[in-house]
Amino acid sequence: MAATRDSALTRAFDNDWIGPGLVSLIAVVAISLAQPAFLSPFNIFVLMSAISVNMVIALGQLVIIGLGQMNLALGSIGGLVAISFVGVIERYGIPVPLALAFALGIGIAAGMSGGYIIARTMISAFIITLAGLQIFKGINLGITEAQPFYGVPEAVKAFGQASVIGPLPWLMVPMMICSVAMWYLFNRMRIGRHILAMGSNPHAAELSGIDANATIIWAHGISGLLAAIAGLMLVARLQIGQPTIGDDWLISSFAAPVIGGAVLTGGRVSVAGTFFGVVIIAIITQGLVMFNIDPFVVQIVLGALILWAVAVNRLREMRIARVQARGAGA
Amino acid sequence: MAHAGADNPIPPGSAPRRMSSGMRLLLGNEFGLAVLILLTVAVFALTLDGFTSPFSIYTIGRQIGIDTMIGLAMMAVIVTGGLDLSVGAIGVCSAMLFGWLMQVMGVPVPVAVPVAVLFGASLGFVNGFTVVMSGVHSFIITLASMSIFFGVMIFLTRAAAFNGLPPQVQAFGKMRVLPGISPLLLIAVAVCAALVVFYRYSTLGRQMLAAGANARAAELSGIRTGRVIVACHMLTGLLAAIAGLMVTARTGAAVPSMAGQLGQDWLLPAFLAPVLGGTLLSGGRVSVIGTLLGATFINIMTSGLLLMRVGEFWILAFLGVMLLIAVLADRTRQVFLTSRGMI
Repeated sequence: MAATRDSALTRAFDNDWIGPGLVSLIAVVAISLAQPAFLSPFNIFVLMSAISVNMVIALGQLVIIGLGQMNLALGSIGGLVAISFVGVIERYGIPVPLALAFALGIGIAAGMSGGYIIARTMISAFIITLAGLQIFKGINLGITEAQPFYGVPEAVKAFGQASVIGPLPWLMVPMMICSVAMWYLFNRMRIGRHILAMGSNPHAAELSGIDANATIIWAHGISGLLAAIAGLMLVARLQIGQPTIGDDWLISSFAAPVIGGAVLTGGRVSVAGTFFGVVIIAIITQGLVMFNIDPFVVQIVLGALILWAVAVNRLREMRIARVQARGAGA
Repeated sequence: MAHAGADNPIPPGSAPRRMSSGMRLLLGNEFGLAVLILLTVAVFALTLDGFTSPFSIYTIGRQIGIDTMIGLAMMAVIVTGGLDLSVGAIGVCSAMLFGWLMQVMGVPVPVAVPVAVLFGASLGFVNGFTVVMSGVHSFIITLASMSIFFGVMIFLTRAAAFNGLPPQVQAFGKMRVLPGISPLLLIAVAVCAALVVFYRYSTLGRQMLAAGANARAAELSGIRTGRVIVACHMLTGLLAAIAGLMVTARTGAAVPSMAGQLGQDWLLPAFLAPVLGGTLLSGGRVSVIGTLLGATFINIMTSGLLLMRVGEFWILAFLGVMLLIAVLADRTRQVFLTSRGMI
């Protein structure tokens, strides 16, 4: 009896997304009971738009976390892509599809170039992406001189404001495509397996014939692409090519995957868990606004959430290890 | 210091061992940087009008003092192979406490300075304690703490600056000790001297280097590495607080945005100066003088480029490129030295 309960419990604990999923559910119920306006169509629309953008940002960091590295340049790539997209349209009148391809290309190139340097030199990703952060941000500000581009095409503006049905924004569509694609990548594709293998044990991965350089470069390229998509989604949402896009991605891009059970040393990620991590952050942020709590508190809560999630992940790891040890002994 | 066995595989980034001191000096970062600084100064002084004006020298020196202090703050924790993303947040928090103590509480300056500096050290203690207790990498802990420290500070101050500070503070920031020399630069040089002595001669300083070079070996030889790592984070907090106070003196006000959003604007100078100076990111080796030289080089390049009318935004990108070049050059030198059997 005890054994079956234990194994069911362990399995539930082992599942990365159950915990954050439950927390999100409870939070939604609790807040909507206290404040029925929380479930108003308008509020849901705002919430879902924020979740959509933040999920793509979090996925961009998740790939690199899976690899056991970090990408500090995520936000600056997103910002550079955003202003380049609006910039080429405003200055040179380039058609939107072409500008889109150009902007996504910048994201991939920016990510891959960082990945190339990391792979070739094996210098820590932290320092290379810190340099990348500064370079991309510097180029962004050098081009814009800190002034926004206003020439966002109407079609793009409409995309950021329109809803598919009811209170569900169109912005959800790219988010869902990216999420499914990333789930597929990690669970069904060779490159995803290689990324996770590199993350859990780079030495073993290389010995088993994985091309380490290619894996690192691809992972950073994908991260850059996701940063670019998130940057473009923000352009649609804000209706303006803001040079400050990306400045505040750093904390939340780590918070969501960590809340979702990702192990920061690499090798273990959960797309569904990350989604609920994003949801929890969005609900808390929105909840603070609804209850007229100082918006400055958000920063404190985000930091506390990261610590909480790290602690929970540690406890869970220890618990799983203990149960496994007991199972092996029996 | 670290013990590198002669027949062990060389860990990436171990310090040169079997080399004559003259050779080591020539191949060290400090020597190369010093030569580079002299060359750059010579070129700029000959080609750029106003580069050697007393005002230019004074402002460059003052900024070198501040950047050195920020770099030293990060260096103190890089020693352990860790890092501290919250240096900027700690610096701003200490500066805001400094401003609040004087402007709101009417505390005299000589009391407010040590209180603010110790406050920085205590924030560092929080970081170090959490890192050691949780066993989680300092990156994620200080990522969280930078958000918390900065958030609490912004919440308490309502994002408003303290600009009614006692006149001595501003006077200090504008003071000239010798013609063209700011006291802020002298403070940085004095702290450098103290740190050189600390790392070379004090037990704690040597323990920090040993724990950073090889935590397990240090533990086996009786060093309580946990405590040492906490001490490193406290030193980081203390130095970051001094940097925060120096910025406050220069501006004449304690401003919440002085290090950017969450204090992120300090991250680049914090890493650039020590890395240029030859501090290893993997820990175990520091270069205090190198950090001072690194900060000097950064500021000479920056002001030279500004005088050449390169936009200040492009200089941000340039600094990023410089960080890349610094780490790449460092790696190339290591490969070269290894291939020649010099380490």
